[in-house]
Amino acid sequence: MRSTTSLLPFFLPASGGQRYCLLHLPAPESGQKRPSRGGVVYLHPFAEELNKSRRVAALQARAFADAGYSVLQIDLHGCGDSSGDFGDARWSIWRNDVHLACAWLQQRVSGPLTLWGLRLGALLALDIARHPPVPLARLLLWQPELSGRRSMDQFLRLRLATRMLANEGKTEATGHARAQLAAGHSIEVAGYTLVPELVHAIDEIDAARLAPAVPVCWLEYGAGAAGPNALPAPAARLAQGWRDEGTQLQLAVFGDGAFWSSAEIMECPQLLQATRQLCGDWLTEPGSVPHG
Amino acid sequence: MPNPEADTVSIAVQQLLCLILGLGTRPLTAETPLLGSLPELDSMAVISVIAALEGQFGFEVADDDIHARHFATVGSLTDFVRARLDSRLIT
Repeated sequence: MRSTTSLLPFFLPASGGQRYCLLHLPAPESGQKRPSRGGVVYLHPFAEELNKSRRVAALQARAFADAGYSVLQIDLHGCGDSSGDFGDARWSIWRNDVHLACAWLQQRVSGPLTLWGLRLGALLALDIARHPPVPLARLLLWQPELSGRRSMDQFLRLRLATRMLANEGKTEATGHARAQLAAGHSIEVAGYTLVPELVHAIDEIDAARLAPAVPVCWLEYGAGAAGPNALPAPAARLAQGWRDEGTQLQLAVFGDGAFWSSAEIMECPQLLQATRQLCGDWLTEPGSVPHG
Repeated sequence: MPNPEADTVSIAVQQLLCLILGLGTRPLTAETPLLGSLPELDSMAVISVIAALEGQFGFEVADDDIHARHFATVGSLTDFVRARLDSRLIT
């Protein structure tokens, strides 16, 4: 009865405990063993965005499995169903987790390995791609955070937004959260304990300095005043900078919505369709790998 | 006499709110209340709206401006965007 792709949840032993993993396996073609087309490691976004984006990530993982790829989704240390509290998470541990996931998948699946990341997970993928633990064929970036510092500033705003919604009246002095972190104190943001070591490590990561040496497929959300399919200016600037440095980049804009932060759990047909088109050269023709 | 509802900033803010908050085709006017009235407007949606405004209009929102006075209604948010755009033109 295995006519569809299969899903295997398991725990991967790692430093400080274990990591929750989901492995999406391609369905074997009827009557014959299907050659493996490669592996994809998925890196989730930060904090609550992980939960909000599970549905769309699962849909895309299933689409990759349908196309013959094995997809490994790993919950990083202190996130999701993995060991540790959020306050235990460190960028260096996350990097090790990604190394572990890539090595695990490469040992079991032949063919090219793709790193696929969403939001901060995409920035982590870019950071990893500078010194990959195993050879990477390509990166797939969904709405990548372009600046670690900016992503943390955005996250810290949740404190102010929560306060505003609770109508507490009292406001927090500008820069209070940053000052606490700079003084070495942990702070709490929307139920997540944020430690200075993690924030300061993420602050240092800047996509402008991480022009990838491998081909990149990039999906960016575009909406609002500039038109439904307009690429936001910061993304356009970074894309140009990467191309100037020789990065082979394919970019598409989707308009479904900000599914990683939406109050409603969304499905994103435009994003899935745009990903299928953008990655067409390695998804549709068995064995085809982009040249150059 | 220009219709104050029909200017581009107000249309852009309404489109952006509809998209970010997933309101579909629900009609918005300047009087539509935001804070405390829209269940879609949780804390993550607030920062998404702010980030989208910054991206679309090219200004930075200060921490002090994440305040109920700007997020009370669609109109007050539009006024805030207009003020930020004006101050950017002056400086």
